[in-house]
Amino acid sequence: MSHIRLEDIEKSFGSVRVLDRCTLAVEKGTVATLLGPSGCGKTTLLRALAGFVDPDAGRVVVGGKDITDLPPNRRQVGYVFQSYALFPHLDVAGNVAYGLKVRRMGRAEIETRVRRALDLVSLSAFADRYPARLSGGQQQRVAIARAMVLEPEVLLLDEPFNALDAQLRLSMQVELRKLIGRLGVTSIFVTHDQQEAMTLSDRVAVMRAGRIEQFGPPLEIYDRPRTAYVASFIGRANVLRARGRGGRIEQVPEIALQSPDGDVSVVVRPENLALWDDAPGPGWRGRVAFASPQGAQIEYEIDIGAADPLRVLVPRKVGEAPRAAGAAVRAVPVDPAACVVLAEAADGG
Amino acid sequence: MAADAPKHRTSGWRRILHGRGIWPAVPALVFLFVFLVLPMATLLAFGFVTIDRGRVVDGTFTLENLWKALNDDLVWRLMWRSFWVAALSSVFTLFLAYPVAYLFAESRGLWRALVLVAVVSPLLTSALVRAYAWLVILGGRRGILNQTLISLGVVDQPLRLLNTDWAVLIGMTQIHLPFMILPLLAVLAERDRRLEEASLNLGASRTGTFFRVVVPMSVPAIFAGLALVFAVSYTNFIVPQLLGGGAYATLAVQVYEQTIVVLDWTRGAVLATILLSTCFAFVLAIVAAGNRLARWNEAAA
Repeated sequence: MSHIRLEDIEKSFGSVRVLDRCTLAVEKGTVATLLGPSGCGKTTLLRALAGFVDPDAGRVVVGGKDITDLPPNRRQVGYVFQSYALFPHLDVAGNVAYGLKVRRMGRAEIETRVRRALDLVSLSAFADRYPARLSGGQQQRVAIARAMVLEPEVLLLDEPFNALDAQLRLSMQVELRKLIGRLGVTSIFVTHDQQEAMTLSDRVAVMRAGRIEQFGPPLEIYDRPRTAYVASFIGRANVLRARGRGGRIEQVPEIALQSPDGDVSVVVRPENLALWDDAPGPGWRGRVAFASPQGAQIEYEIDIGAADPLRVLVPRKVGEAPRAAGAAVRAVPVDPAACVVLAEAADGG
Repeated sequence: MAADAPKHRTSGWRRILHGRGIWPAVPALVFLFVFLVLPMATLLAFGFVTIDRGRVVDGTFTLENLWKALNDDLVWRLMWRSFWVAALSSVFTLFLAYPVAYLFAESRGLWRALVLVAVVSPLLTSALVRAYAWLVILGGRRGILNQTLISLGVVDQPLRLLNTDWAVLIGMTQIHLPFMILPLLAVLAERDRRLEEASLNLGASRTGTFFRVVVPMSVPAIFAGLALVFAVSYTNFIVPQLLGGGAYATLAVQVYEQTIVVLDWTRGAVLATILLSTCFAFVLAIVAAGNRLARWNEAAA
């Protein structure tokens, strides 16, 4: 049975529908990520789980208990805020001890627990510093220790790496992932960074305009996107217009088609395309619009007469020069089985 | 990095035109010096020279007047009353101001504007007028308060309200309320509400969050307000005179009477010196206490 279940959560602010029947189930001990652009409702969904937002409809179930109507202070849900929301008037130890003091725990007990929590995030040396005197990474660790010291059933993290610079972000992502793995706490991250989602999570929920478009393991979402939106949000993708006829794609007969004849979209990753110099055969024909050599590979933009150019990433041999702009080429999928056919017709290509 | 930065050599004129250093403050400083510091120093100086038939006797400097005043039991009694009236009214304003400021911070749009107008508009009338208004409300048998209480049957004899410590305290508290509300307004309205969410998330109730997060975070504003209200209450002579009655004196009232009524400028100046310096000391103490309680604030600055 799933540890966290969100069932048909709906929320509107005024006339704006922020969450539209969001359903999500997260297994115990796994890390899930809500991924989407800003304004897609991912933070609102997380806040509904923590109790900061009252959903208009739907249920929030944690550990088999319906907590939809429970106020935030009665939920066993840890929350790490986007810029950590550390209490500036309390030092590091005071911040971590806050939840324990609220629970009127004994002095000695609080002290040992705080020390253990600070050890966990290797901040014992900073116990009597005020948050303003800490670096972004240290603040993040205090925020995590403050949540984890209460041994919550669930840990929620709202863009926890946003406030960190790029270099620190990567190492903190790995650190945090290890820490969560060690503690085995069911976690949900919110992020707009697909790279972060791939690194951190066992499951990714791609959100768009208040809806969850697809929920699954990150590689499955990458390999088998269910919509053109998901395809282009996770990694780079060409979403191409194609015609299906007799169970085949007209342009590339190697791609099988389950749906009936008609307009479809084909999702092809740039690295899954090879370029041929205008020999007759299957594929998409066009002219090189732009080539950017990147050492081990060359990225081409091919003008195929659609709104968006076709992106092709081909490996480069030593000494090989990129094709000149204007050269006529034909782009063919390397592995037709890796192409995804979507029943919806693409807007542009 | 600093070593690589090109060195700017700026002439004095450029510094003035670009508003660097203390130059932008110079007009205000000159104004304050000419119209505040000089006259005040002149007035206070009267306490330290010998005046003979309305003329300052040259080359005399004496601490004798100050010494006499400091050995005067009455001066210490007046100072004590000034102190506790100011201290109590500062605390009263705090307890009255906090809910108003909180209401302002929690309200939106028109309501917020209404609260602000209600807070600021008393400042548009003079303190004298407001003190008179309290005279009408509290005053004698015919006072509004007594009449209401009698007609409601709460009391059968009119209460003696006017010319008591309570009348002075009530007047001071009401008149100086905006000085406490305004610093609190700014801090409570601008506060980071995620801290309260964090507190709730960590298991604190709404009330617990208020006392553990909201109040401590507003400590700098609380003490700014306390210092302001204390200073204006400690030196106020209109309210004690009007609401305390003719026999009610504080140090500030005594300064006024010595200077304007008795025309003993020497004693007036000496008492004013004592009033000013003790006021300064008390305000510094309040500020120091506030800084001590809000040490975290220095870390943030």
